[in-house]
Amino acid sequence: MFEVLFYLLIFPGFLFLYLCSWLFEFLDRKLLARFQRRIGPPWYQPLADLIKLFSKEDLMPQGANEVVAIALPIVSLCAVLTAGIYVPVAGFSPESFEGDLIIVLFLLSIPTLAYYLAGVTSVGIYSLLGGARSLLQFFSYEVPLLIALSGPAVLAGSWSIQEIIARQSETGAFLLFQPLGFLLAMIGLIGKLKRDPLDIPKAKSEVVAGSLTEFTGVKLGFWHLVMNIQAVVGIFLIINLYIGWTSAGNPLLNISIFLIQWLAMILLLSTASAVFARLRIDQLAGLGWKILVPLSLLQLTVVILMGV
Amino acid sequence: MDWFRRNTGLLPALIAALMKKPDTVSYPFTPLELPQGFRGAIIIDPEKCTGCALCVRDCPANALELFRESRENFRLIHFPGRCAYCGQCQDACRNDAISNSNQIVGATTDPDSLTLVLKDTQE
Amino acid sequence: MKEKITIPIGPQHPLLKEPISLRIDASGEEVLGGTLRLGYVHRGIEKLAESRTYTQNIPLIERICGICSHVHTTTFCYAVEALLGIEIPPRAQYIRALLCELERIHSHLLWLGVLAKHVGLETVFMHSWHDRELVLDIMEELSGGRVSHGINQIGGVRFDVDAEHHPMMADKMQKLHERITQFMQIFEREPSIKARTHGVAPLSADLIRQYGLAGPVARASGVDVDMRRDDPLPPYDRLDISVITHPDGDAWSRTYVRIYEIYESLLLCEKILQAIPEGNISVRARRKVPAGEVVVRSEAPRGEVVYYLRSNGTEYPARLKIRTPTLPALAIMPMQLAQIHVADIPVVLAGVDLCIACADR
Repeated sequence: MFEVLFYLLIFPGFLFLYLCSWLFEFLDRKLLARFQRRIGPPWYQPLADLIKLFSKEDLMPQGANEVVAIALPIVSLCAVLTAGIYVPVAGFSPESFEGDLIIVLFLLSIPTLAYYLAGVTSVGIYSLLGGARSLLQFFSYEVPLLIALSGPAVLAGSWSIQEIIARQSETGAFLLFQPLGFLLAMIGLIGKLKRDPLDIPKAKSEVVAGSLTEFTGVKLGFWHLVMNIQAVVGIFLIINLYIGWTSAGNPLLNISIFLIQWLAMILLLSTASAVFARLRIDQLAGLGWKILVPLSLLQLTVVILMGV
Repeated sequence: MDWFRRNTGLLPALIAALMKKPDTVSYPFTPLELPQGFRGAIIIDPEKCTGCALCVRDCPANALELFRESRENFRLIHFPGRCAYCGQCQDACRNDAISNSNQIVGATTDPDSLTLVLKDTQE
Repeated sequence: MKEKITIPIGPQHPLLKEPISLRIDASGEEVLGGTLRLGYVHRGIEKLAESRTYTQNIPLIERICGICSHVHTTTFCYAVEALLGIEIPPRAQYIRALLCELERIHSHLLWLGVLAKHVGLETVFMHSWHDRELVLDIMEELSGGRVSHGINQIGGVRFDVDAEHHPMMADKMQKLHERITQFMQIFEREPSIKARTHGVAPLSADLIRQYGLAGPVARASGVDVDMRRDDPLPPYDRLDISVITHPDGDAWSRTYVRIYEIYESLLLCEKILQAIPEGNISVRARRKVPAGEVVVRSEAPRGEVVYYLRSNGTEYPARLKIRTPTLPALAIMPMQLAQIHVADIPVVLAGVDLCIACADR
């Protein structure tokens, strides 16, 4: 009982994931600022933002559905935290079983649908537009992402993430066998996190903040938590599936290698954020279905043939 | 190297930006250096001012006022709140008495500092 | 989802630097049209100018717009000097032109950053505004102010380009030269900005002639008009201006025209610094202006600025009328808004290069 509580609340549960998301947001904003020749926020900025949001007044426009608006961020937070438990950190996860990859992928797509619902139930033209765009974006990147993330499972012959990591420790990182899959998974992750080249649903210059325009206070604080923890769990997943490597007896080595991999992924994501301009939604749909899906099917075919 | 630079758009500029120090300064914690010619607060050399009121006539914002009692007794008042810091008074003065220094005039909560007596012959 | 919705790009919006009220009718992601309301920044400058003397009017005119402040005061001073019948010394003319070109550079760099930010590329925004700081530093050294220079007076200029300024200016212009060449290369090759601006909101040359637009928007549709060459104020008739046009009228050609204009203005600044003659920088001007009326035109960074001034023999102007370049561009904007996507609205607004403070006066 005590062990279960420890796993749920401390490691790798709420506290650990919150600290990781704090570090992620700080590094991301600082790196982006340095690319743009600015100083960037200090290390305590994400915590300060959260405290400020929790102390603000909580308003909703007239006509919006209060119950749904309160329930959505809480449900998304629960989903993302649950997904975080099943994704191994430095090779350790409290429980793993055959098929937990599918559970994690399912849980990670709940926040996106919740984002859409939040946009549609808040009254306001910007929220409606943001929500509609987020659903359109969901259809464009989700299929290549799922196919790309199934590639390592096919190569390892199992749907359990721990098994995939174990196979990589024997045969070398899967990134070497399917670099195209890694690229597609990164593009899918950028779309899921709604980060810069694909932040169409929350484009500041067109729809003011997308679905979250009318949210303030504690609800918005929860949404920020959801976005950041989703980023952290997504990055952990891709690291485990493509460059996962654990040595059996040395936890310190595992932790340091995992940390280096995590920092490298943050560097990649921030660089992609700084270099590209935002796509238009029709350009994204064209890109998704005309280029990404055929490439991902090609990659899957290659992987199946390799496994045979 | 040149081909790389020409075909990868922004990426070399970003890597170069990481190597240098940032360009912004954290203003209240680091001091700000202003050039010599910056048009800041109005200062006057009281010896040279003769109360001819050319500066009052040329001020676009009515920030200077002259109260004259007789040929020798006058008072010149400046309102920093109305001033546009354009420097026309400095141009108009024929005795080189009034000019701009390079100090910034900050906001204040003291209403008395919004009326400055520049020269008063009674004192 | 084919029902009509109205998107308010209202007075407060992250897209706008200055308040306008734009109501856009859209159906799904396609824009059907829009209506525009102005007047949020109207300060009554033309009426205020009638109760101030000509000398007091110069700082007032300067504060019509922050970005093109020098062009407004230059045109006003040329108008008053034409009525007074005096000719300012050549050195003053060259200094005025130098600041006009510097202002064009900083205005176009600002616009570049704004376009990049609206398209989603914040890095180019920060980098181009950093280079703009070089230009603002030069202007601050010369005149004491970064944005409102106060360098014009009736009869000439107030501050001189001394020999001590030359090394600093040459050094900064050299750095600017390198940075702008780099920017030109980046824009030629950067695929995402081209993808966002190609083919968006084309304007035909006939529409532009019908509405009387001038400036970079007109030159981007192939209309070859530039006040510095067609109706030049004094030092420009001795300088060699090359006008940049582009045949398509879409947002990409407006980007192209403005970026190459930065480079041209930089070359012009260097030519002016080499050709500047010796002499004094101002002549005395009377306070009472004889009765008459005059029209002066000049090339602001956004187009053509026309000043009509009528005087009645006293120290105060009788009527001052200012025609600023953004107003016809705003009139044409609802036509540009038809048949684009909602995501292209920032590109259209940035392509027009709004300066609402100029348009509302």
